[in-house]
Amino acid sequence: MNLKEYIASGIIESYVMGLASESERAEFEQMCAQYPELVEERRKFEESLETYASEQAVRPPKEVKAKILKAIITMENSKSPRSIGLLRFVAAAAVILLVGMVVLYYQVSQQNKDLASTNKELIDKVNTDEATLEKVKIEKQSLGNAVIVNMVGTKIAPKSFAHVYWDSTNSSVYLVVKNMPELPSDKQYQLWALIDNKQKSLGVFDATDKNIILKMDSTKKAQAFAITIEKKGGNPKPTLDSLTSIGKTQLTQ
Amino acid sequence: MGMPITYTEQELVAALKERNNQAFAFLYDHYSGALYSIIRQIITDNSELAGDVLQEVFVNIWRKIESYDQTKGRLFTWMLNIARNASIDTLRSKSYQNSQKNQELPDNVYKGASNQTTQQNIDNIGLKKVLEKLKPEHRVLVELAYFKGFTHEEIAGMMSIPLGTVKTRIRNALLQLREYLK
Repeated sequence: MNLKEYIASGIIESYVMGLASESERAEFEQMCAQYPELVEERRKFEESLETYASEQAVRPPKEVKAKILKAIITMENSKSPRSIGLLRFVAAAAVILLVGMVVLYYQVSQQNKDLASTNKELIDKVNTDEATLEKVKIEKQSLGNAVIVNMVGTKIAPKSFAHVYWDSTNSSVYLVVKNMPELPSDKQYQLWALIDNKQKSLGVFDATDKNIILKMDSTKKAQAFAITIEKKGGNPKPTLDSLTSIGKTQLTQ
Repeated sequence: MGMPITYTEQELVAALKERNNQAFAFLYDHYSGALYSIIRQIITDNSELAGDVLQEVFVNIWRKIESYDQTKGRLFTWMLNIARNASIDTLRSKSYQNSQKNQELPDNVYKGASNQTTQQNIDNIGLKKVLEKLKPEHRVLVELAYFKGFTHEEIAGMMSIPLGTVKTRIRNALLQLREYLK
């Protein structure tokens, strides 16, 4: 069959109008690939069909266009990977949230335990501190009744400075070291009470016992207090050459 | 309602494949009438249903535009065949068949008469109008094949005509149609 006969067979019209069989379609497409004239003939028929169909157009109901555009938007939204992405995102977010809550729960319960033990420690500490405070109060009370004696430095140690608190009602003697020069490790300071020109040892202390209340030995009487540098452990008699501080009690003044 | 943008077919196809909404609106404005016409020629009795089919057709055009192959024909030819196929599918659907049975009696009587005599249809438009110019034995075959969607084999069986004769007569009818379209 030559091309003219093929064109005249009505295959073009049959193909274009969708009436050709599967095998006829395949053959026609193959022929079109070989013969541009066949394609040109097909195009002519398609154009006349289109022109005629346009002339015979019937206006569709007005609402159809809006419906179609809406349907397409809905389709695009439901089909788009974005919405699947959103779903995945929501699922992932839910999982993350769940994991986050579990982690948070463990952290909070751990924190609770920590807080409970810290709380117990604090309660213990408060109890201890209260006991300490009670002692301090008692001491403070006794210091409140005490005579404060400023221990002034001598020429040997002009900068040395300490306070003696002497409660003559119960004979208690407390010493607060403000500033005493450090001594060699074999030496210690010794506090003395001067009673009727005699010296009574009230105990030894170190320069490092700074700003704490040291309870010294008691004395009922004292016209003055004196501090000397003695060998470690103290001496029965003061070494007067090493007298660093002296302070008179008010009672004698 | 001036159209600011016009497209060549090439540009229109490219824009549609890029999912350009403006191009799609242009497509609708320019081709919906011609496509609705073919739908009405197949679904003759229900304009609401024809509107639904038109909607389905345009949704399918949007969905399938990627598969449109320009080497196999013009865009309008492709769309025309989608419209024809969708209309015939609707015509053959169970729900449509049932709705036909439920139609009121006078309508049925009228239709029966119209089908028996293959007389001029009430909305005689488009290709059907050209069909009127054909010889009745040609016309009925095109009517069955193109507007009712029967295969050549089915028609041969229905009309008790050899398959070869059906094919030849349809082809001849289409060649005549082409002459009338010019």
